[in-house]
Amino acid sequence: MNGSSATGRASSVAARAPRFELPAELAIDAAVARRVIVAFIRGQLEQAGFERAVLGLSGGIDSALVAHLTAEAIGPARLLAVLMPYRTSAATSAADALDVVRGLDCASEIVDISPMVDGYLAARPDAGPLRRGNFMARQRMAVLYDRSAVWGGLVVGTGNKTETLIGYTTLFGDSACAFNPIGDLYKSQVRQLAAAMGVPDAIIGKAPSADLWPGQTDEAEAEFSYPELDRLLFWMIDRRRDRDELAAMGFDPAFIERVERMVAVSEFKRQVPPVAKLGPRTAGVDYLYPRRRPGSARA
Amino acid sequence: MQPLRIALAQIAPRLGDLEANLDRHRSILETARSEGAGLVVFPELGLTGYLLQDLAAEVAMRRDDPRLIALAAAADGLSAIVSFVEESADHRLYIAVALLEEGEVRHVHRKLFLPTYGLFDERRFFAAGDAIRAVPSRLGVQLGLSVCEDFWHLGVPNVLALDGAQILVNVSSSPGRDLAATNAVGLGTAASWQTIMRTYAQLTTSLVVFCNRVGVDESISFWGGSEVVAPSGRPIFSAPLWDEGLFTVDVDLADLRRERIALPILRDERPELMARELERIVAMRADLRTADDTDGGPVSQARRPAVAGGKRR
Repeated sequence: MNGSSATGRASSVAARAPRFELPAELAIDAAVARRVIVAFIRGQLEQAGFERAVLGLSGGIDSALVAHLTAEAIGPARLLAVLMPYRTSAATSAADALDVVRGLDCASEIVDISPMVDGYLAARPDAGPLRRGNFMARQRMAVLYDRSAVWGGLVVGTGNKTETLIGYTTLFGDSACAFNPIGDLYKSQVRQLAAAMGVPDAIIGKAPSADLWPGQTDEAEAEFSYPELDRLLFWMIDRRRDRDELAAMGFDPAFIERVERMVAVSEFKRQVPPVAKLGPRTAGVDYLYPRRRPGSARA
Repeated sequence: MQPLRIALAQIAPRLGDLEANLDRHRSILETARSEGAGLVVFPELGLTGYLLQDLAAEVAMRRDDPRLIALAAAADGLSAIVSFVEESADHRLYIAVALLEEGEVRHVHRKLFLPTYGLFDERRFFAAGDAIRAVPSRLGVQLGLSVCEDFWHLGVPNVLALDGAQILVNVSSSPGRDLAATNAVGLGTAASWQTIMRTYAQLTTSLVVFCNRVGVDESISFWGGSEVVAPSGRPIFSAPLWDEGLFTVDVDLADLRRERIALPILRDERPELMARELERIVAMRADLRTADDTDGGPVSQARRPAVAGGKRR
């Protein structure tokens, strides 16, 4: 099924093993993507009247890539990277995040979220991993928005298309942002662009993880591989192939069904909450303006 | 014949900021004049930005709006093609493109096709135009104006050429999408546009001038890549993707005549045949007539088959 895959490596390092697998149909022109996204970041900030940006830097590839893109768009001095470890977070996560900070020479802060998280959860021992994980994600969001007020910058989102489509995000947690530069890139494409932009190899090569407990990885937890999931989503969503067509392409019917369900169940996470329609003009229904329009910029 | 210098204003308009965009147009007209341009082309909704939604009504101008007339005055000595939201006397809003010449708004084309598929939602906010007309210009040739999606419908360039247009102008706000490493420019949209522009130039033996904006409105990025294509289908000039700029291109209008003499396909067009067949197809699609009914006789309810469904093939 992956016979047509490209490998993510530059020809100059052809002797080395590929750092990641890039399904051929997902390959993008990294230079074009970089160009478009950098201009997008500049445009978003400019229209809103901001010159600075802030993001949560986890040590994973998504936030590392967004840090690189944002630094390129506005200069590293205007970017604040906030590291928000919890006491069980892997030490390598912070080390990798600091590597990105050093490489970019951007501003950074470390905020340990353990006291605030434990302050709530200590009295709730029944909270399982899902509740704990969601609570941490929302605490990080609260910290990020508070730091953004101090820093005077907009919060940049770091969620990719794969996790957004399957709903592997926390609503009003890691998905909260002013704008998202990589929300239309699948994980495999994030890897391709990260490699092209010089994100450290250690970050590109490691297994994606929510880092909620030692040894946790996305792929083990959800029982999929990103290249395989990305391919399925690409053909299902972008290329509108139905269940039978996907099966004929070689995707396992049980896998198709499971992913279809994940996408359907998480629809609400990708949309603005509906407002009960009562008046003549209702925000988001029949009162429709660009988010940033003349007069909306911060003075 | 003196070469015509065309200036392509590949700009990033400010969304909803009519005053700022008017200023920008005036200063570009000034620059184009000093560089010896004869024709200056601005992109679709260059005066307002593209993703207006409910702002459309707030930036709309009548054809006789003093601001538009003042812009026409600023274009004196040039042929300027500018695009704005036009409000008709009965308050319909159109995506419009105007030819400004000799201090006047000489002609206005209203966008005919308003896409609502994919990322587009134009028909919600705008009315669709109803006319395709070639327009004489001070340049000594007739111009055929169109806006973006108009060019995704074969009939538009064909009718403009048959109506006498020798230069087909398309102004666009084309959102870049479908990043593909598989074509030369790494962008599906750009590759599609290049294909159709070259095809239209060749099939209508006309000069094709395409001005597409750059910059970002909300989620979408516009890719630029403005072009001038010779009547032979050969690209004469391709502006860079994504970059703002005022690009000047010299074209030899004698090439138009040469191409049309050497390849008289426009002469050999059969508009009467097309009109007849189109009339039949229109009736058939409206279920007023069967596919067998090819004698060109009058269309009426009486000719409709008695059996439901008729003899469709």
